[in-house]
Amino acid sequence: MSSEQRDTCFVRFDEGLCTGCASCLRVCPTKAIRIRSKKSIRIVNQCIGCGECIRACPARAVRAATSDLKILGNNHVAVALVSPVLYAQFPGIMPKDVLHGLRQMGFQHTIDMSYFLEMFQLATEEFIKRNRETRNAPWPLISPVCPVVVRLIAFQFPSLMPHVLPVLRPVALMAREIKRRIIPFYMETGEDVVLYYINPCPTKMDPACLEKDKQPAIPEFALGINDIYPELAGHVRRIRESDAIPFYQTRFEYETCATGNASMWAMSGGEIADMDIEKSLAVSGIEETITYLQKIEMGLFQDIEYIEFRTCREGCLGGVLNVVDKYLAKSAVQKMIKTVGLGRRLPREKILRLYEKGDFQTENRPSQLLSLFGGQKEGLSIESMQKVEKLLEVIEGRDCAACGAPDCRTFAEDVVRGNASMKDCLYVHVQTKKKNKKPSAG
Amino acid sequence: MTGLKKSFYIKARDFNRAGEASISVQNFLKSMNFDPKLIRRIAICGYEGEMNAVMHGGDASLSIEIDSDKLVLEISDDGKGIEDIELAMQAGYSTAADEHREMGFGAGMGLPNMKKNSDQIDVQSQKGQGTQVRMTFLINQGGQAT
Repeated sequence: MSSEQRDTCFVRFDEGLCTGCASCLRVCPTKAIRIRSKKSIRIVNQCIGCGECIRACPARAVRAATSDLKILGNNHVAVALVSPVLYAQFPGIMPKDVLHGLRQMGFQHTIDMSYFLEMFQLATEEFIKRNRETRNAPWPLISPVCPVVVRLIAFQFPSLMPHVLPVLRPVALMAREIKRRIIPFYMETGEDVVLYYINPCPTKMDPACLEKDKQPAIPEFALGINDIYPELAGHVRRIRESDAIPFYQTRFEYETCATGNASMWAMSGGEIADMDIEKSLAVSGIEETITYLQKIEMGLFQDIEYIEFRTCREGCLGGVLNVVDKYLAKSAVQKMIKTVGLGRRLPREKILRLYEKGDFQTENRPSQLLSLFGGQKEGLSIESMQKVEKLLEVIEGRDCAACGAPDCRTFAEDVVRGNASMKDCLYVHVQTKKKNKKPSAG
Repeated sequence: MTGLKKSFYIKARDFNRAGEASISVQNFLKSMNFDPKLIRRIAICGYEGEMNAVMHGGDASLSIEIDSDKLVLEISDDGKGIEDIELAMQAGYSTAADEHREMGFGAGMGLPNMKKNSDQIDVQSQKGQGTQVRMTFLINQGGQAT
């Protein structure tokens, strides 16, 4: 991604709606966005898909690179992979009704994450238990669940990659199960299967971004919760109003949700709450996440075994593609847990046998991630850095972002790299004007 | 060619903001695509030194000087100084006040950690005269990855 482009694998910019206000520049954690003349947005650094630009844009000119709902329902078996955050958008409604609503919308299968979250939980506990003796991995281990966190580490904190827990993420376990069981089922009937990830954030990469040989064999699309909400809410309302007693028939056991565990994962702290770990911590919010990663890099928190990070405040229910406000959603989750309770369903011994076989471990991911998201910008040499420092003395700026870069340092680095001109700086412009005026006034 | 030099100010007893100078150094070195492992060692040393200055020093400064083959990290304060440097370099030796220990600091690992993570360390101090800790990190050819 060294060449400039307008869209990223996660977000799209509408230049017609953009007012050039620079709100997105300031919130981008990887300083990826620039505004060139005439409000034209350019992406120059790694986009990690956090969605902060979507949240910040007052003109609604940024949106997630999700797919159009219209593609649903034509000549294929649609499988919905449901983020448990979806349930939090329906206060007082049981997850099974929400999943049934999805099936009425045209998804043949609705995969709930509970089983896979539980598998992940057991595998994580086991890894940590063993690591207490072997110390193969450094403390604190970092949760791999939020993909934005993992990309952020690959891009900005590569020295922390060994801290990322090498266990397959719940969503990867879910996708694997579908490939093992649902797809072979339809291979026999000759029907095409398409996977739809239903997400609270723009985290799922647009498959078009992947290189041709890395593209998934089964077509995958991402849908934002806000994309499906209006239609789904209608179905859910009708299900609730109907007098029929709901005995839903599903083909696979994980197509329904039975415990409150999955819902709990929508909240910050929900991942570690029920995990058997001696010392763990939950951190949420992009700024907070960066602060903690900086501290880990400086050698802190080595007495903590596991840290759950979510770049959205309050956890996934703070995701930018949700419909219900995060605090209301949180209250809905808490109420649901009171109603249905928590509990595990999977036989521990069986999971441990699979763990022994290496069914949950992942090793190639870090190198893959580093090649996709690792620091790809050109490093500045000592001479260039000296030039940057000199320019900063000339600018004496206030990080106004009028130049189209997020702050003065980034701007100076852009100038030294040859990607921006000092003429774009407002302070320099005003000062030159004053200087030029003086002789004529005198 | 003269090296690139940059200094950061550290305020005495400001525990809330301790670590900010080291973070600035981290970010600075990341712009220059330094080897992540080297950045981490420098980050650990910077933080330990910064904490020492915040706890024991008066106002202090943290500076880096980068040459093509080495980086020097220096933390100087005008605080109370170290009476016995050899003793201070021993793991677990600490003169931190109880209030600092209650905050989780002052375990006596600061200087030993700095020694462990740097290629060379030089501590200059006299009682009542402040302390200068100078750490050198060697930059291998290609250590500054492009």
